[in-house]
Amino acid sequence: MLLRLVWATLSRHRSRTLLAILGVAVSAAMLLDMVMLSSGMRVSFRDLFVATGFQIRIAPKGTLPFDTDATIPDAAAVVARLRAMDGIAVVSPVLGGQLHVERDGRSVSSTALGVDPAVQGDYELEEGREPRAPNEIVGNEDFLTAVGARVGDTLSGAAGFDPQLRAVSGQRLLTVVGRGRFLYLASGQRAVALPIATLQAMRGAAANDRVSLMMLRTAPSANVDSLLTRIEAAVPTVTAISIETAMRQVDERLSYFRQLAFILGAVSLAVGFLLVTTLVTVSVNERLGEIIVMRAIGVARGRIVQQIVLEGIVIMVVGALAGLGLGLVTARYLNSILASFPGLPAAIDFFLFQPRDAWMALGLLTVAGILAGIYPSWRGASLPIAVTLREEAIG
Amino acid sequence: MGLMLVAALLLQAIDTTPPARPPRTVAIDERLATDAKVRVGDRIVLAPTPGGPGDTVVVAALIQRRADPSEVARAEYRVRMHLDELQRLTGYGDRVDRFAVATPSPSATDSAIRTINTAAFGFRAYRSHDIAVETSRTFLVVSRFHRAIGVITIVASAIFLLCIMLLKVDERRRDVAALRLMGISASSIVKSVMVESAVVAVIGSAVGVAIGGLSSRLINWHYRGVYRTPLSFALITPSIVTLAVSLSLVLGLVAGFLAAQRLVRQPPLELLTGRRA
Repeated sequence: MLLRLVWATLSRHRSRTLLAILGVAVSAAMLLDMVMLSSGMRVSFRDLFVATGFQIRIAPKGTLPFDTDATIPDAAAVVARLRAMDGIAVVSPVLGGQLHVERDGRSVSSTALGVDPAVQGDYELEEGREPRAPNEIVGNEDFLTAVGARVGDTLSGAAGFDPQLRAVSGQRLLTVVGRGRFLYLASGQRAVALPIATLQAMRGAAANDRVSLMMLRTAPSANVDSLLTRIEAAVPTVTAISIETAMRQVDERLSYFRQLAFILGAVSLAVGFLLVTTLVTVSVNERLGEIIVMRAIGVARGRIVQQIVLEGIVIMVVGALAGLGLGLVTARYLNSILASFPGLPAAIDFFLFQPRDAWMALGLLTVAGILAGIYPSWRGASLPIAVTLREEAIG
Repeated sequence: MGLMLVAALLLQAIDTTPPARPPRTVAIDERLATDAKVRVGDRIVLAPTPGGPGDTVVVAALIQRRADPSEVARAEYRVRMHLDELQRLTGYGDRVDRFAVATPSPSATDSAIRTINTAAFGFRAYRSHDIAVETSRTFLVVSRFHRAIGVITIVASAIFLLCIMLLKVDERRRDVAALRLMGISASSIVKSVMVESAVVAVIGSAVGVAIGGLSSRLINWHYRGVYRTPLSFALITPSIVTLAVSLSLVLGLVAGFLAAQRLVRQPPLELLTGRRA
């Protein structure tokens, strides 16, 4: 009965109700996007960090991984010391650099990662195999396309370029043995991975026994926090970073987006609330005579309140459900814009859909719908029967 | 390179400055001065590696950070030192990463770039503007994102405005019916509703501009504090105000027109009684 009355009221002014639902749908879409934005980045970064099972990153003292050109000296000794420590299962050293490949008279530059192929966690193989010999490399699709090479081809690559002499340094013949997807690199960034000793030798004295980063996989029973302290005490030239520390850094650097998400989400909710409040208030004002007749024939005040509040909730919920689809479409579009953020790993999604987000948006809108109906329902239910009856129904 | 030095700005580093030589001077940025509690006149040791040998220098000045978008999210420190001191300390030799060249006019810039790129062996010259564009890519992406959010907001506003106008016009069905019965033409009623909606839109956008102005001050104050930069994060320019007000006016007029059209299409008696004939 109650729902039938609500339906009758809302369908009396169809265009008005449809517009209100559309307005709520746009607000709901924006709200869902902002809820997705506020949590998506965090989840996405965390997934990326834990994807390969390395819980600790070791960077040169005072830096973040690959944030600067700084490197860790005496790498072999540090790796040996770390491997001997309790609680550390795997140590994966990484050296960053450049690879210049001459192809058809032009030079193609690419990011080069020197890794230990047996324990690397920087890429996933899509084709071919891991490098076994010193002159073997794995390239990503962008690199292979840029140099026009395929798995099995041999390329002439160099680790340096002297602009004054216009001559390459650290030149080697390298065989492509695999194609991989590099997890931490930006979309469109060309990349290759090769044995770390090869890249160290190609880079010359500057990279001799040096690494840019070490990734550690801990033993299942290890306490990560105590390991961080022990590592920094044992190797004073490094900073040990756990996933939690890295997440805090991510939070700090991308706090702008979280705050933007909060502000825009709040504005969307406020707009939806105002729209429904206005609509329901006007609707109640138009039906004062009708409401007062219901009161006069004995309909309880609570019943009137329920009906009016339900009107707000119906508009909000129907609008929110329509907004869910719209929100997913706009989130995909907005994500494609932010995906071109310079230097951001291609695997990162700013807008990551999780059912929890949809429920949260729906819950917030339902609460807003209830609140939107409170004032008009109070107004409708608290009218003096005799006076209003004479003014509205008779006069 | 600067960051490597700063990362190694540890007081326990071993001083390798020959004792006879007076310490050189450096300038450090305010962020570093605050975090490391260093003041002008203090002596610090700069070393290329953490805990490694370094030189004692005197902090001669504090420098304010530039409003550079490329640096905004990077929590790094800056030290400015004499070129020869940095070259010696890092073993860089007689090398530099880049030269900055000042030219008297834009045409001289073009000609200098051409000359350097064709004549100087092993160098590549870039226009400062081009470098600025490249380093501002982060903000270009953010700007595109904001524009997309702006479009969604405009759509929501348009629907909101149309809804409000429909409600306002619906509220005055009887007044409109009476006016029509008195002989006022449908076009006059449409015009009056459009004027009313235009006034609502202009007043609304004026309030919006005021809120926007206040918000932009708040945003700049907040994010300048968070990122410790003099950069302006929100900027309200006359062109933005003009665009916002014009857009709002157009939306208001369209919403008013649509709402009024709906009303004048109905016969006056039907409007008056609320029943279809």
